[in-house]
Formats: sequence, structure tokens, C-alpha cells
Amino acid sequence: MSAVGSSNPEYVVARVRARRGSLYSDEEYRKLTRMSPSEIARFMEESTYEAEINALGSRHAGVDLIEYALNRNLAKQFEGILDWSEGGLYDLIARYLRKFDAWNVKTVIRGVYTGASQEEVEVDLIRAGEFDDRRIRRLLEADSIEAVVEVLEDTIYGAPLREAYAEYEETDVLVPLENAVDRVFYERLLGNLPGDEPTRQYEAFLKAEVDFRNADNALRLARSGAEIDPAEYFIEGGELFTRDTLARLARNLDELVEYIAESQYADELGPALRELEEADSLIAFEHATDAALLAYGDRLGTIHPVSVTPVISYILAKEREVENIRAIARGKEAGLPANEIEEELVIT
Amino acid sequence: MLEATNELGNVVLQEGTLTDGEAAAALAVGLAALGAGYAERGIGSAAVGAMAEDEDLFVNGLILTVLPETLVILALVVVFLV
Repeated sequence: MSAVGSSNPEYVVARVRARRGSLYSDEEYRKLTRMSPSEIARFMEESTYEAEINALGSRHAGVDLIEYALNRNLAKQFEGILDWSEGGLYDLIARYLRKFDAWNVKTVIRGVYTGASQEEVEVDLIRAGEFDDRRIRRLLEADSIEAVVEVLEDTIYGAPLREAYAEYEETDVLVPLENAVDRVFYERLLGNLPGDEPTRQYEAFLKAEVDFRNADNALRLARSGAEIDPAEYFIEGGELFTRDTLARLARNLDELVEYIAESQYADELGPALRELEEADSLIAFEHATDAALLAYGDRLGTIHPVSVTPVISYILAKEREVENIRAIARGKEAGLPANEIEEELVIT
Repeated sequence: MLEATNELGNVVLQEGTLTDGEAAAALAVGLAALGAGYAERGIGSAAVGAMAEDEDLFVNGLILTVLPETLVILALVVVFLV
């Protein structure tokens, strides 16, 4: 509920482990890939997604229904986790879940900038972060970017956004605002972590995530050959890259691949890198980083059973499930055959 | 809290004030009860968490929660030995 008092990992871990058991298995994914969107919705209705499908079923249908039900269920589950946890545990979990706040803030800003209607923006929000419903309502009601900045005045995004807003007024591009939000998120993610052993494991995982994100971005830039400064997309906090090495490596694909192949992630990403060299497939590499993160998360949850790590491990697995179901539903809508969809899924 | 009990033990043993057998036995039972309580704290909250997800776990949760009580029962033997 809040960051005061002592943490209660026993309670949260017990609940999360029970929920982990009800995530979809390989077998169920295989069934899902052979269903039509409406059958998928019906299948979901018989599992954990029952309440969401029933609540949204009268207003939406098909892939939209699946998409909204997934988002809403994700938000409900993660909000629940934040509700249960107390003390240091709350702080550690909130760090990670704030990425949904960052996503929501960026979505609202973009919505205001492009003049999208309130409903359009609302369906894209994922209410899984720290912001409560009242703040989100006020964000949605904001009709200018200045109003958005004002609503966020008393949050951690307040001061950086205020500075970025001045820059935005001069240039009229959103990049400074979005960068400000991202920077606050990543600073908070890795700053001031307590020093016990499970937390160090958690930190190592977060760093791996930042590294992989940097690697993905660098590869994408190197492949596209676009004239974009890679340093602008650099995320602080990782171990593998610094701003300069990333800027240098993103110009040359071969050097970049070699650099990653010689790093501490060589074991996890080795096969994907070879595939990248042979088949030139960026998707395979991105899947490999996702799968490596997920495997990392699974391992993370078993080393220190009563700590923050099983909770994070569940959060990752749940996110992955939502992404997988979304990929299946979208693939089915586009008429892809089952085996092609299966290749798109990330299952450990 | 555990550090505090350690400290207490040290003081009691080093000062050598605890020469009365019955008082020592009483202290032993008390400390055992304290340990059992501490163990039950974690198990209890995990059990309640599991029950919140699945009510069928009530019986298992209850049994596991009171298992550390055996510590107190065993410590009680000391009282009769002194």
C-alpha cells in the first residue's frame, strides 16, 4: 500500500506464486494459435480473464475485445501487487511498474499534441503504474501540454517536465518531453537501490534489460542506416554500453555484433547473433533478447524465494503472456497460418 | 528482533546471574515461544496470501502455520526436567 513500515514479501510472493500457476502453458498457446479471435475471447473467458471479457464484451468484439481485456487484466493484476506490498518491497516493485506511468504520460502528451479525442487516448492507457484514477482522469482532461505538465507538478516527473517544456515551447517537437519522462524513469529505476543480495540480483536483471534495449536500438539504427544520432536513444544505467561506444558501434553492424558476442551475454545471445549474421534477421535477435530476459526472470525467481525477485519474475511472465496472446490475436486477424504465429511467440 | 534475543542471552550467560534452575527453564520456554512466534509470522502471512488466491488451501495453511508451535512444546519438556 505504501513505502512505510517493513516489507511483507511472504504474503506477496505466496499470492504471486498462486497466480503464476494459472498463466497459460505451451499447450494452451498451441490451442490458441488454432482458434479464431472470437474463439480466443471465449477461451479467455474461461480462465483468469473472465471478469474483463464479461465487462467489455457488450461494447467491443473480436480482436479489440481481446486487446482491451488483456490491458485491463494486466493493470488490475499489477495494481493488486502494488496494493499488497509494503515498505521496501513496495519501493522495489514500484520502480519497475512506473514504466506504465511513463508510458501513460507519453501517450497523453502525444494525444494532446495530435489532437486525439479523450476516448481514443483513454483506451491506449495501461493503468498499472503508481498514478491513481483521479490523476489519470485529470491527465485525460488536460487540453494542452502545459496543463499536462501542471497535473504532474507534484510527482517525480514535475521538475524535469517543467524544464523540458521550456525547450518544447522553443522547438515544438516532443522529443525533449519524452526524453525527460524516460530519463526520470530510468534514474529512479536504478538509483539508491538497497544493498542486500536479492536486490543485487534484481539490479543485475534491470541492467541486463537496459543493455538489451540499447542493443536492440543500436542494431535497428545500424541496419536502417538512418542519419539519426544513436546517442539520443541511449538509455543510461546499463553495463554493456556507454554513450560513446554505442554511438561508435551503431555505425557499423559487424563491429556491433562482434562487441555483443564478446560481452557477458554471449551465452544467452550467441545463437541469435549467428542467425543475425547468416539470415540477416533482426526479428530473431529481438526475440532472443526477449527470451533471454524471460529465462533470466524465471531463474531470478528461484534463487531467493522470499524476496522481491519472484514478484518481478511473475510481472515479467505476465507481461509476456499478454504480449503473446496479443500476437496470436493480431496474427489471426491478419490471416497468418498457425506455424508462423507460433514463431512469433516467446515461450520458455 | 533476533539480534536483541542474542544480546539478552549473552548478558544472562556472561554475568552469571542466572543460577536458579527454574528461572533458567522459564527463560528457555519463553525464548522458544518467541522463536515460534517469529517463525509463524512469515508462514502465517504467506498462508493468508495463498488462501486469498485459493480458499481450498485453508487447511494446509492452518497446519503449516502452527507447525512451529512444536518448538514451544519441546521446550516445555525442560520445565519438567529441572
